Amino acid sequence: MGLNGLFGIGTSALATFQRALAVTGQNISNVNTPGYSRQQAILTETDPQNGRPGQIGTGVQASEIRRTVDTFLERQLLTSHERQGQFQASRGALQRVQPLFGDSNDQGLGAGLNEFFNAWQDVATNPADQTARTVLLSKATDLANQFNQHATDLAAQRQALDGQIGQTITDINELASRIAVLNKSISQAEFSVQQANDLRDQRGVLLNQLGELADVSTVDDGTGQLTVFVGRGQVLVEKDRTYELQGAANASNSGLLDVQYDGGGGAATLNSVIASGRLKGLLDVRDHTLPSIQGSFDQLASALVTQVNSVHQAGYGLDGSTGQPFFAAAGTTAATIRVSLTDIQKIAASSTAAGVPGNNVNALAVGALQTTGFASLGNATFQEYYSAAAGEFGSTMQGAERDVRAQEIIQEQLEAHRAEISGVSLDEELVNLLKYQRSFQAASRLIVVADEMFQTILTLKR
Amino acid sequence: MRVADQQMYGTLLANLQRSRQQLLQAQEQISSQKKVTQPSDDPAAFGQIVLDKSSLAQTDQWIRNVQFGTARLDAADSALGQVQNILTRIRELTIQARSDTTSAQGRTTIAQEVRQLHHQLIQLANTDVSGQAIFAGTETNVTPFVIGSGDSVTYQGNSESQSIGVGRNQTAQVLLPGSEVFSGPTTNVFDSVSNLLSALESNNAAGIDTAIGTLDQATNQISNAQGKIGAMANRLEVTKTALDTTTTTIRQALSNNQDADLTAAITQLSLQQVAVEAASRAFSKIFDTSLLTMLQ
Repeated sequence: MGLNGLFGIGTSALATFQRALAVTGQNISNVNTPGYSRQQAILTETDPQNGRPGQIGTGVQASEIRRTVDTFLERQLLTSHERQGQFQASRGALQRVQPLFGDSNDQGLGAGLNEFFNAWQDVATNPADQTARTVLLSKATDLANQFNQHATDLAAQRQALDGQIGQTITDINELASRIAVLNKSISQAEFSVQQANDLRDQRGVLLNQLGELADVSTVDDGTGQLTVFVGRGQVLVEKDRTYELQGAANASNSGLLDVQYDGGGGAATLNSVIASGRLKGLLDVRDHTLPSIQGSFDQLASALVTQVNSVHQAGYGLDGSTGQPFFAAAGTTAATIRVSLTDIQKIAASSTAAGVPGNNVNALAVGALQTTGFASLGNATFQEYYSAAAGEFGSTMQGAERDVRAQEIIQEQLEAHRAEISGVSLDEELVNLLKYQRSFQAASRLIVVADEMFQTILTLKR
Repeated sequence: MRVADQQMYGTLLANLQRSRQQLLQAQEQISSQKKVTQPSDDPAAFGQIVLDKSSLAQTDQWIRNVQFGTARLDAADSALGQVQNILTRIRELTIQARSDTTSAQGRTTIAQEVRQLHHQLIQLANTDVSGQAIFAGTETNVTPFVIGSGDSVTYQGNSESQSIGVGRNQTAQVLLPGSEVFSGPTTNVFDSVSNLLSALESNNAAGIDTAIGTLDQATNQISNAQGKIGAMANRLEVTKTALDTTTTTIRQALSNNQDADLTAAITQLSLQQVAVEAASRAFSKIFDTSLLTMLQ
């Protein structure tokens, strides 16, 4: 091996350390980049030359720029993102409904029922009093309006959630197409055996974002391209192709959107297949929690209308009228309940035509409904039924809050674990920086020494 | 174990945020003085609060009913007290009129006073509370006793009574119809007086004698009515005491479920303040230990 070999070793070292410094620089500059995976320059010796007394080294090379990533952990993170997306969506949606139960400030249906029945008691105590009767009609109207308002609010919330579902579908399609584009770039970059580290990081970030929206699973097809499945194995991305989700209005569900997928075999509805992610959270609240609350309110309204009317129709008003419905008989839902009585004379407080105005037996009977259990309410009183519905909602809401908090902690732990493996440590990079800088200096020195040796040999001739 | 910079910042930030969240919760509890304001705060307690509030509203209403009934019974009792006074006065006048020394002229003069008293009796029997007659049965909108030709008095009301709600499936009677107080059941108070009047004016000593007997019957009848009204008022008073106790109990239960434990909330507040402060301090210390500062 001649002196030229020394130059060769020095040059390879300079180039390699420079590359290693570049990797360190890339790590330092991406210390705060979300989803960035720490890179390492893997240094190996170059092939030795045969010689005497033995093989002699020819220098160093950076054989690979390796991305430090734990694929199992990445999968766990994806799952965690899916769950977090679901729980946060549920909590957010439920939070907006919670003000309906304003009973601790005397504003809920419970408070409305109290005032309604108290007004009946006032009429019972003073059946001839016009004021008590006027107050009763106004309290009854308030109660009916409260039911109506609750129904309107719930319907509006369902509409709002539907809007979010539509937006989520758009977002999913958008992310899918960006992943498809990256798939293509990665396969092109890796065609020449290079690792497309940064592109893979970018795709990882998009995948986690996608996971927050719906449950996805992935398979690497061997060319560096990810096939992304949504729900129960529906292909969303395959190589650089995307199969979009679609929102289709479902006429039998108040025209709200169904999540549909067409992989070539006709459109299929995925509502029940989506198992987590934001989409699942939104669908759950829109199609289960809210309709169930609505159902409770409807049940309550229906029982109230039926029971009050049945007692009221048996009594006599101040003008001798009887058989008058108090609430409009047709309106037996929260949305349609309405006071039909407009004339306070017709409030049937008396049990006999002859007993007016002082007979209050019928008013007492209506008042007593407040403490009666009804079969249609599971043998509960109006208040007990409402209280149970409020409690049930509270449990759902509390559960959602707990889920979010728990998942946040799991997510933090996973992120910390990921940082431990893939995160950049500035201390470590600073050490590398010094190390490669010194090595670079030493390699330069080697070239200087080799040059001096050349000079010495050249001067021999004189 | 490798420690990446993201870990240090991430963990600290998350802890800081959690502490701040709990700090906010403690602050909310202290400012609202309530620990349960929405169903999710404590679903079971919230359900109980709804029921307690309902019970409280009912109990308050029953107390209101009782107060109304008591006012009515008080009015009846005071009217009947005056009726007794008048009957006593009429009896005195009758004794005086029956005396053999009283002339026909004297009896006519006495009759004039008795007629005035008769009118007063009718007025008392027509007592109302805020426009509702209290001795008319349930026909509270009519004038119960109307004087007709001669001194005859007719009852316009009915014989029904009225009860009010004073508890769960409990009612209490708060009205005695005039037919039970004045025009029956043993005698007609007004007839006894009008009979006396005609005896006085026709100078009929035997008639006056009879009148004394019927007057005594009338007095007894009013006394009985007073007794009944007293018993009704008594029932209401007992009920009121019980309802007041119930109210206190419910309020206590409501407070236990709903009101914040201030001591606990303030302790929690200080605790979280310390936690936030500690996390903030730790944050500033991270920079000191970085290799970056050593290398300069």
